Amino acid sequence: MIGYICKYTPVEIIEAFGEEPVRLDPGYKSHERAEALIHSNICSFAKGVLENIIENNIEEVILTACCDSIRRLYDVLIDKVKFIYLLDLPRKKDPLAINLFYNEIIEFIEAYQAFKNKNFAEENLLKIVESKFFNKEKYTESIAILGARLKDDVIEKIINSCTASVINFTCTGEERVFNIEARDNLLKSYAESLLNLTPCMRMAEDRSKLINKEFKGIIYNTIKFCDFYSYEYAELKSKTDLPLLKIETDYNDSNSGQILTRIDAFLESTGIKKMEKQKAKKGYFVGVDSGSTSTNVVIIDENKNIISYSIIPTGPKALESAYKAFEIALNSAGLQEKDITSVVATGYGRISIPFADRIVTELTCHGKGAFFIDNTVRTVIDIGGQDSKVIRLDDSGNVIDFVMNDKCSAGTGRFLEVMARTLGISIEEMAKVHKEVKENITITSMCTVFAESEVISLIAQNKDQRDIIHALNKAVASKAVSLVDRIGRKGKYMMTGGVAKNQGVVYAIESRLGEKLIIPFEPQIIGALGAALISLEGK
Amino acid sequence: MRKGSLWGSDKMDTVKIYTNIIKDNMDRLEKVNKLINLGLTTAYYYVSFFKDRRIPKSLHYLNKYSIKSIKDSLANPQNSAWVNLFAPSEFLIAVDIKPLFIEAYSSFMSGFFIEDYLIDTAESRGMSNTLCSYHKTFIGASELNILKKPKFMMTTSTICDANIPTFKYLSKKHGVPLYIIDIPYKYSKDAVVYVKKQLLEVAEKLGEVFNRKLDTDKLREAVKTENKTRALMREYLNYAGEKRFIPTMTFEMYMLFASHVFIGSKEVLHFYDMLVEDIKRAPERSGKSIFFIHLLPIFEKNFKDYFNFSDKFHIAGSDLNYDFLDEIDENDPFKGIAEKLILNSFNGEINRKVARIKELIEKIKPDGIIQFCHLGCKQSMGGTFIIKNLASELGIPFLYLDGDCVDKRNNQEGQNRTRLEAFLEML
Repeated sequence: MIGYICKYTPVEIIEAFGEEPVRLDPGYKSHERAEALIHSNICSFAKGVLENIIENNIEEVILTACCDSIRRLYDVLIDKVKFIYLLDLPRKKDPLAINLFYNEIIEFIEAYQAFKNKNFAEENLLKIVESKFFNKEKYTESIAILGARLKDDVIEKIINSCTASVINFTCTGEERVFNIEARDNLLKSYAESLLNLTPCMRMAEDRSKLINKEFKGIIYNTIKFCDFYSYEYAELKSKTDLPLLKIETDYNDSNSGQILTRIDAFLESTGIKKMEKQKAKKGYFVGVDSGSTSTNVVIIDENKNIISYSIIPTGPKALESAYKAFEIALNSAGLQEKDITSVVATGYGRISIPFADRIVTELTCHGKGAFFIDNTVRTVIDIGGQDSKVIRLDDSGNVIDFVMNDKCSAGTGRFLEVMARTLGISIEEMAKVHKEVKENITITSMCTVFAESEVISLIAQNKDQRDIIHALNKAVASKAVSLVDRIGRKGKYMMTGGVAKNQGVVYAIESRLGEKLIIPFEPQIIGALGAALISLEGK
Repeated sequence: MRKGSLWGSDKMDTVKIYTNIIKDNMDRLEKVNKLINLGLTTAYYYVSFFKDRRIPKSLHYLNKYSIKSIKDSLANPQNSAWVNLFAPSEFLIAVDIKPLFIEAYSSFMSGFFIEDYLIDTAESRGMSNTLCSYHKTFIGASELNILKKPKFMMTTSTICDANIPTFKYLSKKHGVPLYIIDIPYKYSKDAVVYVKKQLLEVAEKLGEVFNRKLDTDKLREAVKTENKTRALMREYLNYAGEKRFIPTMTFEMYMLFASHVFIGSKEVLHFYDMLVEDIKRAPERSGKSIFFIHLLPIFEKNFKDYFNFSDKFHIAGSDLNYDFLDEIDENDPFKGIAEKLILNSFNGEINRKVARIKELIEKIKPDGIIQFCHLGCKQSMGGTFIIKNLASELGIPFLYLDGDCVDKRNNQEGQNRTRLEAFLEML
């Protein structure tokens, strides 16, 4: 077998040699071997490929000179595998560019012939290329996946959970179409067809023609340290009216719960998520929000009155906490499990709650709950223990856009907890507002770990504790408002989640937004309330 | 407190006040433009009137020339083109267009301490937070319309991924014509033909946009000047191993104006003329000398403390200033420039770059080599371990540190200090 990664690889030539081309699709949690050979800040896909090649002793590799990371990967691999070829890939496709690429392919064939001691036969290539004749299907309803390469298993999950057809425009999704007209120079026509594949962002060609107004939505994938795609996202974001979801992964973690939650919520909001419709019933309805920090349960009756609720820390076992929170809510409502008509679970732990009838993402639930409390709300800022999100609602309360923080704890409740500990005060003390500030300090690092050392040095400089707290609140507020800015400002704003109880942060956000925030009577139960409402309405 | 470096600590408070005024006015474009212009003008007059005796004449000239070139292109956008560091300047010289290269602009904005604001702006518009800060700063300024749009843009695909998408994005956003020069990774006759044809198109495009025909003789003139300049560059290198010369990191970076974007101009030739004279008169080498790979972190505090006007450690050079040292074919300047672009030591397999570094190290004989891995610069940091192997083959201590040459928030000063100090102690 010969490993490859780029869609512009002459896969059919390798097949014509009677060899097996295998597209490398790594998914490692650690890159121990790779990081001994290449700097750790290179893109994780390249590191994953390196790890894969070393771990599986892959002896033959063909790469294209497609991006900085892959070019350096080639340099690192050169004396570590038996056969490696770097195919230069022009960014244009005029006749001179085609000629250049054609020559590259010929040189590759010569190198591979010499290495394999096998001859290349053009007629084999012709057969293969003809067998790959491709009929373009007409899509009725489709969503597009654009941006950097998205892992095969994630694509598969999207296909399985959505009612529309999925068009994968990323590097993993190419349908290989060949239009070989000039048979007298098969290799040259083949080179030309390869250069005519859907252009990736590295190419000079304009890609805006890929966007079809008929798409039900666009999932835009970006990979950390992959420079190419954020530009197109930025452009799309300001121009397109289509529903747009951005996900950022480090490639290997694209299958994580957090990413799948976002995708599910997006499919829900665009109305193409596969789900069974339920009819509304009578009785009592429960929403369980199994968050990373707290587990919250709300019970409502058929008239949408909140009968009871509970909030308990999640602790190490999400399931136990869910049972416990459910029990507390039942007790305080004076109800028994048999009185409950249906249960909807949400939050990170939602998939592991056996007594739930349905699961819905926390984004949809927060939107639902917030709009129910106050139907003037158009933007929900939810800052929980481990993550923060901003949700945009339309005039009917439907989720039309959202953003979530990256996977680190910057700007979340955990950030404040760590800082409270560093300052040696309780989280309640930290939440008090100190309007008078002696010195306007700014914490520059948003990373919890680095900010902690910054706080330690502020303590060492004998700075007033209140000023440090003020600086921390500003830091959280700035992170939250930058999330708001990513989907655009629109009032009124509601703030939910545990951090909404921190008045210092609330003031800091209000002063940045220049607008008052609506704080519900119990900001921690909004997700569970939304889940209970969905449980009642069945949608 | 040290004097002389424009951004030295004694000017810090003044710069900070200035920075705050700019940041407070970000929503008032005209005012910000004026303020930035004022900053550049002040910098220009500052270096003109307060000559620091420690700075050789040639570098003083370069300092003024660099500031002036930025000022000129900003003041006259209609006669200016945005380019990347590797764009073939000869064409712009031949038609008298003032280039603004994005790396330089971003460095100046970092010098004015407003890079954070510009970077945050670019990120809030959707740019990746792992993208190179030279590009993000420039994009941020362009998003805020602080930068007035030029009449033309030109970029090569070398040496990093960010060039093409940054320019494509900016060109689309402002509706300004862009020419992308695709530089093949490998050298071949066909590759030269491919680039030459693109360069012919560049000439045509320039003629169209600026309504002036490119005169091949003028282009040839620029190439001739460039060849003379490179001869001086090679001569300078003959002394670089014996003398201590570069007083601060900023000058080694300013040299990029001369070795890249403005090479081919009479002023740059004049600069190298003076440079060779100056280095001949410079004191013999003493203390320890450090050769830098790729970039120098001119705003990183530890590096400033250790290298700027230091008696103990001095800057022996950097490979980016010597990425091409050959003669260009004067008979066919289009072909000659095409060859120059493809054969750049930062283009192609890393062996080409390694060979150039080896050649430079053998000439300059530094005591240590440092690679400052600029965050997001994968083309450079991807080769770190290979350069490290070269250094150990040559028996020269090597250090790599992570940080950011523009966005100061990405520099972990404490961590880097320990490593840098330990390395310098080791020498």
